[in-house]
Amino acid sequence: MAQIFHPSMNTVAKATIIGGVLFAVALGALGSIVDRSPYVTQQGVIRDQPIPFSHTHHVKGVGLDCRYCHTSVEDSGFAGIPSTKTCMTCHSKLYQDAPMLAPVHKSWNENKPIKWNRVHNLADYVYFDHSIHVNKGVGCNTCHGPVDEMRMTWQHSTLQMDWCLACHRDPGKFVRPKEEVFNLAYDPKKEAEKRKISVADLQASLLNDYHIRTTGHLTNCSVCHR
Amino acid sequence: MKSEVATTSTNVPALAATELDAVDQRRAMVAKQPDTCPGHEHEEPTTGGITLPDTLRNLRSATPTKKLWRSMSELSESPEFKELLDREFPKAASEWTDEVSRRNFMKIMGASLALAGVAACTRRPEEIIVPYVVPPEQVVPGRPLFFASTYTMEGLGRGIIVESHEGRPTKIEGNPDHPASLGAASTHMQASILSMYDPDRSQGLLRTGDNSTWDRFVAEVMPRIDALRATKGEGLRLLLTPSASPTLQRQLKLLASQFPSAKVHAYDPAGHAPGSAGAQAAFGQDVNTVYQLDQAKVVVSLDSNFFVDNAGSLTYAKQFINGRRVREDNHDAAKMNRLYVVESTPTITGAMADHRERVKPSQIEGFARALLAKVGGTGGDATASNIAWIDALAADLTANKGAAVVIAGEYQSAAVHALVHAINTAIGAVGKTVYYTDPVYITSGTGTIEELVTDAKAGKVKLLFILGGNPVYDTPAALQFGASLEQVDFRIRVGSYNDETSFLCHWHIPESHFLETWSDARAFDGTASIVQPLIAPLYDSKSVHQILGLLTDQRDQSDYELVRATWGAPKSTITPEAKVFENWWREALNKGVIPNTKFAAETFAIRAVPAVSTAVGGDEIVFRPDPNILDGRFANNGWLQELPKPLTKLTWDNVFFISAGKATALGIPLTDKWDDAWGYNVTVSVNGGSVTGPAWVVPGHPDDVITAFLGYGRSRAGNVGNVGVDVSKIRSIASPWMGASVDIKRADGRVRLACTQTHQLMKGAGPRDLIRVNTIEEYEQAKYGPHGPPAHHGEEKTGEASHGGEEKHGVAAAPVAGAHESHAKPLGPEYFGGTADTAMARKAVRSVALTLYNQHMPSDPPYNQTTNQWAMSIDNNACIGCNACVVACQSENNIPIVGKTEVIFGREMHWLRIDTYYGGDSVEQADGPYFQPLPCMHCEAAPCEVVCPVAATQHDDEGLNVMTYNRCVGTKYCSNNCPYKVRRFNFFRYKSDDETTKLMRNPDVSIRTRGVMEKCTYCIQRISAARIEAKKHGGDGGDGIRGGTSFGKVEGENTPLTACQQSCPTEAIVFGSLTDPSAKVVALKSEPTDYSLLADLNARPRTTYMGRFTNPNPSIGNG
Repeated sequence: MAQIFHPSMNTVAKATIIGGVLFAVALGALGSIVDRSPYVTQQGVIRDQPIPFSHTHHVKGVGLDCRYCHTSVEDSGFAGIPSTKTCMTCHSKLYQDAPMLAPVHKSWNENKPIKWNRVHNLADYVYFDHSIHVNKGVGCNTCHGPVDEMRMTWQHSTLQMDWCLACHRDPGKFVRPKEEVFNLAYDPKKEAEKRKISVADLQASLLNDYHIRTTGHLTNCSVCHR
Repeated sequence: MKSEVATTSTNVPALAATELDAVDQRRAMVAKQPDTCPGHEHEEPTTGGITLPDTLRNLRSATPTKKLWRSMSELSESPEFKELLDREFPKAASEWTDEVSRRNFMKIMGASLALAGVAACTRRPEEIIVPYVVPPEQVVPGRPLFFASTYTMEGLGRGIIVESHEGRPTKIEGNPDHPASLGAASTHMQASILSMYDPDRSQGLLRTGDNSTWDRFVAEVMPRIDALRATKGEGLRLLLTPSASPTLQRQLKLLASQFPSAKVHAYDPAGHAPGSAGAQAAFGQDVNTVYQLDQAKVVVSLDSNFFVDNAGSLTYAKQFINGRRVREDNHDAAKMNRLYVVESTPTITGAMADHRERVKPSQIEGFARALLAKVGGTGGDATASNIAWIDALAADLTANKGAAVVIAGEYQSAAVHALVHAINTAIGAVGKTVYYTDPVYITSGTGTIEELVTDAKAGKVKLLFILGGNPVYDTPAALQFGASLEQVDFRIRVGSYNDETSFLCHWHIPESHFLETWSDARAFDGTASIVQPLIAPLYDSKSVHQILGLLTDQRDQSDYELVRATWGAPKSTITPEAKVFENWWREALNKGVIPNTKFAAETFAIRAVPAVSTAVGGDEIVFRPDPNILDGRFANNGWLQELPKPLTKLTWDNVFFISAGKATALGIPLTDKWDDAWGYNVTVSVNGGSVTGPAWVVPGHPDDVITAFLGYGRSRAGNVGNVGVDVSKIRSIASPWMGASVDIKRADGRVRLACTQTHQLMKGAGPRDLIRVNTIEEYEQAKYGPHGPPAHHGEEKTGEASHGGEEKHGVAAAPVAGAHESHAKPLGPEYFGGTADTAMARKAVRSVALTLYNQHMPSDPPYNQTTNQWAMSIDNNACIGCNACVVACQSENNIPIVGKTEVIFGREMHWLRIDTYYGGDSVEQADGPYFQPLPCMHCEAAPCEVVCPVAATQHDDEGLNVMTYNRCVGTKYCSNNCPYKVRRFNFFRYKSDDETTKLMRNPDVSIRTRGVMEKCTYCIQRISAARIEAKKHGGDGGDGIRGGTSFGKVEGENTPLTACQQSCPTEAIVFGSLTDPSAKVVALKSEPTDYSLLADLNARPRTTYMGRFTNPNPSIGNG
């Protein structure tokens, strides 16, 4: 009987099978790379805002504390975006005629809120609470990065679950004294020197003082997911 | 397969054709499958329903120990039922019913494979974030605020606290400081929030069906009002429902002064009136009756469902159950109160009774008369009743003079009320267990609706305002209210829905919900409180106060100003009096109660005992407002429609209750299985009308009575409310709540009913595994021996030999203060097991040593010392079956409703269910039912956790079995493995997307979508919030254990309250941390009556129960 397949089909078949397997693996790898890329996580992506608000100017320049605008960060799960009234505490007098600030004045005069584009956005099934983190010594810039160097605001961290778990599995590395939470220039080494103990001892004493449970409590599903 | 659903009358809406097809298609598919499970082929398959003779045959051969059964199918032990129990889910419970051809299947599978990754590749949509322009005071985004307000039931107030998220009310809870709620909330109180957000609520004014505005209404009606001023209001009528609002009273007085000839009529669609007529008969004037059941050792109810049917019922339930709790430190049987119930229809009060007799409603008067004679009152007739235990009851009442009370049912005749007032006087109850006050209702002394109809027919009514109620629907058809309306010149209706009454009126004005308006109310004991709104009116609605303001020329005053004026707000705001008032006002709003407004007890002398009513013959009928829908006002409230009714566990339908004997006489088979529950149609003719509707057999129902429920069969209720059978055609005007000479005949066809009685069955080795019922006498004999419990501590200390059950007489047992358990024999597992040690030790005693699970249980060290260990104890003895917890859970956790078809398939979503168990050997004389609430057990060795392939359900270190919805892929293996069947699966995207219902959702709880399993979480959101607060603000050094806030205003509580616990009027559910020595739950778990369900499975559930006790009178035969 005549051969249906050319001998080269042997090679083709082997190549297809091996290639197929490699392709599937590559697809999986590509998928997980994409999933961790800024395209999906929005890390480092600067979002346009109705007003080009500069944290650099207000925090480094003017010296505002985080809590001046983000008022409910110590009380509530939600840190709070400042109301137009907060902006107007200064801008009713300062830069009154700047075209950049026109939307603020428009909002105030028309009683219509400013619609900011959300930078840090967790999934709806994650119930994140700011107040407990702030009250237990997690600094603002630990998660939000060097906000005082952001002329426009971007998301510093990936905000993916494994990033959260890095701290929840080992909180010692990320805890600072409560007084230093809003200090963007905090350095654990300097703090340890000041107290004349090692960094490891500092971390241990903070964990102890603030009753942060390291027996696995923080990695319970129920801590974040309900 | 031909459908068999009745279509005999338009009163019986059948399932929609498509729904029916779905159900029947599935049955067709199921019929093709083998009838028996593999391995069970030796059992005979049966078809059709079970018959009463079969049931009785099985019963006769039953063992003498008390049988406990949830349904008649279970009682009869039919092979079908056994198979249902083995299968755990019915055949084809989770299968798709649509026909799918092979080709289509391959297409769909291919497409989903091709698109498999796409869903995961999308990234989160970008959102905007919008702050305030000027932030309102006190609102912190992310933290709820709580405001006190008042809910009115039949016009009488019950204090509530409403949780508000960013200005939207999301949950109603009871106000612990208010005497009418004491922290609890009934089903209607909880569900009324859905009524506010109901998308079918009327949103704008209507002028004979066309949209209109308030200004146009004012323009049209003011000339008429002004014209009536000239005639002093002759022809101006108002129709109200009962109200106890001082502001409304003031406005009505003002109206009367401006329009002296105007008349106000009041009617009560849900039936309060007979009480006042009875009071009139007894005292010569209207009085308000207030009970004090915490003083009562003996309570007798004559057709009174006082656990739910009274404005003070939350308080009465709590007081009554407080006298009934069986605890180690009050183990004396003599302390437990006793309830006798004589009723004409099964109720949950009757379920709690120690002695109960079910008779025709007309015979209750005879009983009252006989009891009056036997307790020594004048005017009675000792021969008027033939109930066997009436002598023992009379003896019990006289032995407990001053600590006994008789309560007459709201729906009984005026004669019965008058007799009961006389009995209470004779047994010395007045001033102790019952007292009388001036009437609380402001509508006492107003005209009746019958007078209004007569005047309307005579053409005397020129301008009619109907404020609330729905008289075209909820009055007896014989009254012909609708027809009389046609003869009123100009009719204005103020109501929440564009309903049957609005249809016949010129103007329909949407009524503001009580959460949207200012008002005030008095409670059942006179205590006043302010109704505070939580949100500005969602729509173009007006309150009753504003309508009256229009009539009385006070249009410029808002209802806020009107209410303040009632309570004495001075005109100026800067005087010292104004400051005093302002402080008083804020205090009243904050507490939710106006202090010192309780009505004082007055003395009224009994005038006359009414004459004997004429005898009636034949079968009788009893009309009751539906336990959930009431008189129809909640017909469009999906939560209440889907809430399984307390006794029958029916949803979405009303039925006629009949007894098993009546069913046999009519030739109706008994069916109440999973998706095979049928209501066979009967035609009921009485009072000149006849209605056809489904009948349902209720164990223990009297043979010669049928019960009919109002509230159904509406035509304009809204999207979900037009279901069921309208029984107004057979009600009479003279006696709207009972009728005689009833003719009942079997009619064609049957209606498929959604009954959850046989859903989620647990398979126990015996009834003792599930619910434990015993008499207190037997319990104490078993525990303490024939000499009864030991004497109190005081006597022990003197060294007297106590009568505790020590084996040797004459040996003085060394009394150890507090250690009276040394006198008690430890009870074996056949009673309530174990010794009275700490909860942890009990676990050690009870758990089986050999276990495959690892030993790192949350109750092992170090967890049990360093963390909270959440647990729950439910007292079956305190559960009255009112369903408040079920609705509270639904409200708190955003639980959707699924509709009738899905309930038939067993897919109702309630996280908490109440199982009812009947007891005894006879369907006719069934005891109980006994109620058992079932949330998730949060087993320490949870069978559901080990089988989840994606680790979506895990244990946390505080003892909770946690559900992570985003991981769940819907294998449903966990639900299969759960022996308690507490897991609920979302088969469809049940949540509604209406704009208004979105506002109602609790933002602290995830909203689940299709394909995800859910279950009770012990209110993890409340635990989490309390724990965070504790950690932030100290408590126990910031550890998060103990300390922190509780929700609502429960003082002295350091632990979070679950929604079910908070709303329970009798505190049957207690939740707390086992590592907190002061927590109530620790004490309760060390009670000897504590047990866990299906303990032999060694799942070590954290939710445990306490046994149910009855306290029969020893001098009465076998109770």
